[in-house]
Amino acid sequence: MEQNIIEKLINELTKLPGIGRKTAQRLAFFILTMSEEDAKGISKAISEVKEKARFCNECFNITENEVCDICSNTVRDRSKLCVVEEPCNILVIERSKCFNGLYHVLLGALSPIDGMTPEKLKIKELIRRVEKNSLQEIIIATNPNTKGEMTAQYIRDILKPYNIKVTRIAYGLPIGGDIEFADEVTLGKAIEGRREI
Amino acid sequence: MLHRTEGVVLRTFPFGEADLIVTYITPDLGILKLFAKSPRKIKSRFGSSLEPLTHSRIAFWGKENTPLPRLTQSDIIHSFQSVRNTLSRFLAVSEMLELTINFIPERDANKKSYFLLLNTLKAIEDNSLDNSSVIPLENENLFVSHFKIKFLKFAGFSPKLDACGRCGKNGNNFYISHGSILCETCARGIDYPIRISPAALKLYIDLLTWDISKIRRIKPSNMLLSELSNIINMHIKYILSKPLRCRDFFSFHVNDLTN
Repeated sequence: MEQNIIEKLINELTKLPGIGRKTAQRLAFFILTMSEEDAKGISKAISEVKEKARFCNECFNITENEVCDICSNTVRDRSKLCVVEEPCNILVIERSKCFNGLYHVLLGALSPIDGMTPEKLKIKELIRRVEKNSLQEIIIATNPNTKGEMTAQYIRDILKPYNIKVTRIAYGLPIGGDIEFADEVTLGKAIEGRREI
Repeated sequence: MLHRTEGVVLRTFPFGEADLIVTYITPDLGILKLFAKSPRKIKSRFGSSLEPLTHSRIAFWGKENTPLPRLTQSDIIHSFQSVRNTLSRFLAVSEMLELTINFIPERDANKKSYFLLLNTLKAIEDNSLDNSSVIPLENENLFVSHFKIKFLKFAGFSPKLDACGRCGKNGNNFYISHGSILCETCARGIDYPIRISPAALKLYIDLLTWDISKIRRIKPSNMLLSELSNIINMHIKYILSKPLRCRDFFSFHVNDLTN
């Protein structure tokens, strides 16, 4: 039996992360009340992103051109490269406004147990960028978990022959958190990485 | 129903936006997969307690046959952070985790394997903290080989290296397809023997019978250890019909750094 159009929309919306059936139902009925222009805008944006989105040739960020806006921006500091796991990490770091260099997206993290080996990541491309450009510092901003840490150590080891400064983002407590609820590993890392004030 | 037990995290798998599926080995439930809500968020109450190797006290909720019960609490007993801190050490240990995931069935108690893993992790950590051990990687290889040999015994997949698997006579050739040594008479018509030296055989028996606390007293040569490791790895590969992923990556990484 063919699905009702509302039912179909609800089912499609539940495919999104964090959207359950009830939320999907609410969103579907909200879309019904929206102006045609707004609803078509959402639909067009989704189709466009699927049609035009591709990886940047330089850094593997998501872009619609051959090279992304960050890589083509001449004002940015080209001596610093921040290595991240996923393109979404770039958005978060950009929001912090603390980094003005370039990025390199690995498109994953090392996890041999899950079959994620260096060949499946953009590590060769990272080495090529190091060889081609006169970089002074590589900041490894992989996730602060075991996979991210393994990836960071692997990159550090592989870049040793290039005599380049390799740094790792700091570990510690989240702002607004309470020490009372911190686990011993995080707190231990925060104490290890303390700085003079 | 709320259950409480302890366990060691073997692996985690991202699920949805910020959730994780965590695989534990527990003493009373064997391999256990649990669903953890939002541990990847920075302010998650789980903190670092779901990182691989963490030994923790856990509570989970779910009906008896629920395939994926929900993890409600996880308190770290021991984090084994120093083992996770070094890539080569963690890669060596990852082989033990992969072996455990591949051989131990879900929801089937296996106390011997659980305590073997826990004690080996403790021994590797003590070894890494002990400043007198100048060659940590070699010691770790010995610990990992000891783990593999004992683990295969507990899992019921031990290779027979002390005598011919058919008649019990002495022999020096190991046959992967039989998982055993075969004497000359029994091996007639069977191809691809692997010669095993008497010293490697002695090391195998020592590792099989000695407790982890005594292992550091054994100082085998690298060649001898690698001869035995190769046979054990080939045996594992034959049983699983695939090599251990961590083994390949570990060898690649160590070779990469030494060259």
